[in-house]
Amino acid sequence: MTPVRLAAAGLCLGLAACQHSQLLLLPDEGGGHGAVAVLEANGKPVEAVVSQPDSRTRLGDASPTPRPAGVLKGDEVALLSGMPPPSKSFTLYFIEGTTDLTPESRPVLDELRAEIGRRPGVDVEVTGHTDTVGSTEDNDRLSQRRAEQILDLLATVGIDRNLMTAVGRGERDLREPTLDNVENGFNRRVEVLVR
Amino acid sequence: MIGRLIPVAALALLAVSPARAEIARIKSSTGVAAIERGAGRLPAAPGLQLLAGDRLVTGKNGRISLAFIDNTRFSVGPNSRISVRDFVYDRTRQRGKFLTQVDRGSLAIVSGHIAKSDRDAMKVRTPNSLLGVRGTRFIVEVSK
Repeated sequence: MTPVRLAAAGLCLGLAACQHSQLLLLPDEGGGHGAVAVLEANGKPVEAVVSQPDSRTRLGDASPTPRPAGVLKGDEVALLSGMPPPSKSFTLYFIEGTTDLTPESRPVLDELRAEIGRRPGVDVEVTGHTDTVGSTEDNDRLSQRRAEQILDLLATVGIDRNLMTAVGRGERDLREPTLDNVENGFNRRVEVLVR
Repeated sequence: MIGRLIPVAALALLAVSPARAEIARIKSSTGVAAIERGAGRLPAAPGLQLLAGDRLVTGKNGRISLAFIDNTRFSVGPNSRISVRDFVYDRTRQRGKFLTQVDRGSLAIVSGHIAKSDRDAMKVRTPNSLLGVRGTRFIVEVSK
């Protein structure tokens, strides 16, 4: 090894050590805060969890030490304000056994169209939900089919089919928690997520 | 007959290669901002669909914002090079795996369903560390 390369190796121990990385943990948008675990530093396993909101942690240290973030830098503020807005959810209810919207759900369709128009690069997730009557597998299929039917319906009222995907969540996400095999009109619904 | 068969075969191929399915969509971009896919390079225009393995690359004044199908959101700062190395997501169960590599630059993240699904299902790698995301809003910065 030449003296020059030796010196460089002594300073940096390879490219990764020359680079400086930092984690800035922030409060959640809706209040509260999460955590980020440091699992490895310079290829070695580390067990540390950063959970102090508004903290900065230098990465690569064997024992990561969060420090108060202080005032955010201009770059950081710009990064956060560039974040896409959170997705927005709309719930549609149908007359039982049909794909006809209940009268109360009809204005929701107009709100949905307006929201889609407001978002550049928009995508729309049409998610079907069932109540707890029937098996998990049957409800997965049923909710998927319902989501596809509603996707077709939304396409006929002028929402671009290329923006939409259909998802069936079955009975995993009940609006009104019930025991198994309970018929419930609030749980049989379609949620449309505009992202 | 052959003319009919080929599109069907192509569709079947798409159906069995989930790795090529949409994982995210570009919402906005400014300045020099591109998606590198294999040897190709696409301008990061709003509406562009991302695939697993894509790299997000920005220049001096470049920015990109995007949202993933699990509701994770990214805001990419200038002079960045960020790859989505692994992204698998089951929409029915809202579970999956997500590995992002930040080679340089800055990335703000609001995590979504994958981070919630299993411990460290969502990870972020920097040149000198590996992070497990347990929610939800943070910035990773890699500078020389």
